[in-house]
Amino acid sequence: MMSELLKGNFKVQREIKVDETKDEAAEFKKEFRKKALESIGGSMVFVEREKLFWDESNLNEKSLQKS
Amino acid sequence: MSFDNINPDFKEIAGQITSIGLNWHGEQIVENSRWNKQFIEKTIRDIPKPQGKKADCAIVVSAGPSLYKNNILARIKATGFQGSIIAIDGSYVRSLKAGLVPNYVLTLDPHPTRLVRWFGDPDFEKNMEGDDYFSRQDLDIAFRNNSIEENRRNIALVNEYGKGSKLIICSTAPRNVVERTRAVGFDAYWWAPLVDNPENKDSLTRTIVRETGLPAMNTGGTVGTAAWVFALMALKIPRIAVVGMDLGYYKADTSYLQTQTYYSLRDRVGEDKIQEYFPEITYPATGEKFYTDPTYYWYRSNLLDLLAASKSTLYNCTGGGTLVGDGVECLEIEDFCKNC
Repeated sequence: MMSELLKGNFKVQREIKVDETKDEAAEFKKEFRKKALESIGGSMVFVEREKLFWDESNLNEKSLQKS
Repeated sequence: MSFDNINPDFKEIAGQITSIGLNWHGEQIVENSRWNKQFIEKTIRDIPKPQGKKADCAIVVSAGPSLYKNNILARIKATGFQGSIIAIDGSYVRSLKAGLVPNYVLTLDPHPTRLVRWFGDPDFEKNMEGDDYFSRQDLDIAFRNNSIEENRRNIALVNEYGKGSKLIICSTAPRNVVERTRAVGFDAYWWAPLVDNPENKDSLTRTIVRETGLPAMNTGGTVGTAAWVFALMALKIPRIAVVGMDLGYYKADTSYLQTQTYYSLRDRVGEDKIQEYFPEITYPATGEKFYTDPTYYWYRSNLLDLLAASKSTLYNCTGGGTLVGDGVECLEIEDFCKNC
């Protein structure tokens, strides 16, 4: 609320440049992830770690895991 | 057998690949599946079960550099192997060139311009524009050369052998792969990717299965693992070997410089610590050293998890690489073939 009231009610004479702050660690991880993904070939997303096979008929049954 | 000296940043990034992949591929795989519905005539439920020796043993041919370094295809041919041969898209042409005609070819990746090249790309020049993917590949030197002439030869080879061959094609396949393989006359059996828990109502797998009516197979994130799941679960083959499944780099002749992550890593951590981001493993049968990156490490972890869930044994006849661990038995390809 206060910031809304104070906003823009005067002008500074000299333009103030604010340095962009960079989170270097985050930037690095982002770049690393991008590079890692670029190396992917023949790939697919994957999050399921147990079921090997699944059919719609399994909706109310247990998944077909090899026993 | 496991990797030593893994940097926590490395593990964190490898662990995030799943969610990154979901964001990256999520919409595309559903969209491709919807489009491909019109072409689905048969599914992997309809595939004739193999008979005789082809029902007893299978070799999954992945496309890692060991395939040519260890002369694997010629060695398979020399044994007179009578079991089933399952090629992935990336090893299909190479298998044909070696005189091995696979019984099945499996394709998975939804990439709109790259994947079609494994079948001979009719729009080769357009699709390769500004894309250095194949020139960075260590899979097949012929592909690395990006040669128009090589592509022409591949088109002719696939045209000659593809007609009637069993193509195990994922619903997520890009349009140009579907068009190309239909034009050749492959005998297509469709499947959906099991990418998340279908018991969850908002699961991508459930959406695709409902949309297409296809059964879903786990991929482990990569086409080679999907081929192993296909052999085990759809064909019910009890003894399965993998070749060309390196899931890593040869330390002796692949410098860190050749990896995707080298420059960003060097700038960040410096040369002296860079080794922590390329964990090493020694292949037990040869003593040769290999190293991995986050993507290969992720593939390997996925496969080992699925192997544990399946309670089966995987015979790794790659002759190198990082695929060692519980449920994996490493042996020479000749030793596998003579017991089939």
